[in-house]
Amino acid sequence: MSKPKITDTLDFPSDLNITKSLFGVGTVGLLATGVGYFLDHDQFFFSYLVSFSFFSSIALGSLFFVMVQHLTRSEWSAVLRRIPETFSSYFWIWGLFIIPLLFGMHSLYHWTHADAVAADPVLQGKEPYLNTTFFIIRQVIYFALWSFLGYRLYSKSVEMDETGDWGLQTLLRRTSGPGLFFFAITLAFASFDWIMSLDPHWYSTIFGVYYFAMSFQGLFAVLILVIFFLWNNNLLTNTIQKSHIYDLGVQMFGFTVFYAYIAFSQFLLIYYANIPEETVWYLERLSGGYEYLAWFYLFGRFVIPFVILLPKGPKSKPKVVGSVAVLILVSHLVELYWLVMPVLNHHGFHLNWMTITSFIGLGGIFLGLFFYKFKQNKMVPINDPKLGDSLNKH
Amino acid sequence: MDAENKQIYGVLAEFRNPKELVDAASSVKKSGYQDFDTYAPFPIHGMEKAMGLKKSPLGWIVLGGALTGMIGALALMIWVMGYEYPMNISGKPFINFPVYIPITFELTVLLAAFATTFGMLALNKLPRLHNPLFNVERFSKASDDGFFVHIEASDDLFAEEKVKKLFQDNGATHIETVYDSE
Repeated sequence: MSKPKITDTLDFPSDLNITKSLFGVGTVGLLATGVGYFLDHDQFFFSYLVSFSFFSSIALGSLFFVMVQHLTRSEWSAVLRRIPETFSSYFWIWGLFIIPLLFGMHSLYHWTHADAVAADPVLQGKEPYLNTTFFIIRQVIYFALWSFLGYRLYSKSVEMDETGDWGLQTLLRRTSGPGLFFFAITLAFASFDWIMSLDPHWYSTIFGVYYFAMSFQGLFAVLILVIFFLWNNNLLTNTIQKSHIYDLGVQMFGFTVFYAYIAFSQFLLIYYANIPEETVWYLERLSGGYEYLAWFYLFGRFVIPFVILLPKGPKSKPKVVGSVAVLILVSHLVELYWLVMPVLNHHGFHLNWMTITSFIGLGGIFLGLFFYKFKQNKMVPINDPKLGDSLNKH
Repeated sequence: MDAENKQIYGVLAEFRNPKELVDAASSVKKSGYQDFDTYAPFPIHGMEKAMGLKKSPLGWIVLGGALTGMIGALALMIWVMGYEYPMNISGKPFINFPVYIPITFELTVLLAAFATTFGMLALNKLPRLHNPLFNVERFSKASDDGFFVHIEASDDLFAEEKVKKLFQDNGATHIETVYDSE
């Protein structure tokens, strides 16, 4: 097989000094939010949790995407695989950002209050799982596993850039198979821990899948926007082509439907069964102003993307796909806010500035880390044997 | 078989390879013929463009089926559950959209799938028991290694000699007039 011809430059240009500005913005955002801690520390932790679960979901979606591409030996995605590989490569740094949440457990999680547990037989029953020590241990396990998987998939792929050893593909597949299994379990429990246990009486067995569906839909939006960012800087314009955007658009459409299916499944079963301790969760989230957020994300991440992306044409128009991607990401954030915030402000919707600053802060750090890693290596896995077919796809 | 008594169905020409077939198709199109078709053992990139095929209307048929399913399901449930036979199910409203969604979805998908399948068959004029092209023995190569263009006699511009000349000019390896069976 001849070496695939790539006409673009493959190194991220060093004069594009985006990392520093992103870290700068991130630090300012986090410092501002840190000031908020002294004003209203409950609000601080809830805002932080919204932003943290938002950016974690993108890294988690990336990890899943990379493992699936390896397991299915996907050719189409080879040109853009380095982007999700990079997103999931720095879990070991990103994991440090959960530490503030561990200090805020008392503010966030009702089940950490010993007096509340003592007076509540339900919480006593859940105590073997929902207790502070085990919670912290679990977080360590999650991030250790994700860091291992993400870093291994990234570093072996980079190694293939340098050595051209195609045998590494087998290694990547062997990591991805069991990786997927453990990923599914840890992701589900992480979503139970971070978000579901905010209401310790409420439970939904589909919640892990629900968080995954949200994350994976959001991931495609992020990938599309990162590619447009690269294109705007005249990077990889001939390597990642319109046909790849079309494929990403197709997948974004597909997982829009998947998300809606899962989110509605959770809603319908609880609505239909009408058991008070389950419906109260939705009742809180469909009153007091929160219903408008629910309508927003229902249209923003399902109805509008579904209608727009259904025909073939719009999926290959960058402007249309890009706008839908932005809409989906905004809805993703709104939905996470809608999941988390009613626990704090259960009397009604009330937007606090810390939600915005923590989003900017963690976003700056998360994207800064991304570009910091992204420019260290080639932007495309150049020695991947599937690259040629990916470049020449129609 | 006596060729004199039969009606001409069209003229069939064979070409060497997919590229020549695409070229022949586009020159047939340029000469103004409407009723013609190409036959090859596998799909050929660029053939739709060479033949000047318009976008298939199948999508609109499917949309029609989907909307029929959606409106039909909703109308049935609203009529039955809301007016004709209202039942109190754990205190929920009679007209209750969240509960209607699964059935609406199912019926939308079902009728859309029917519209796709049967619309596709209808647009391909199927089922069709016999095609006069099967009278030509060589035509069985179309599912093996033959690349054919066929211009139908029903075309307004059709004239047997002119069509044969057109095929010759495009380098056909074999040209044959196709007759109806009766």
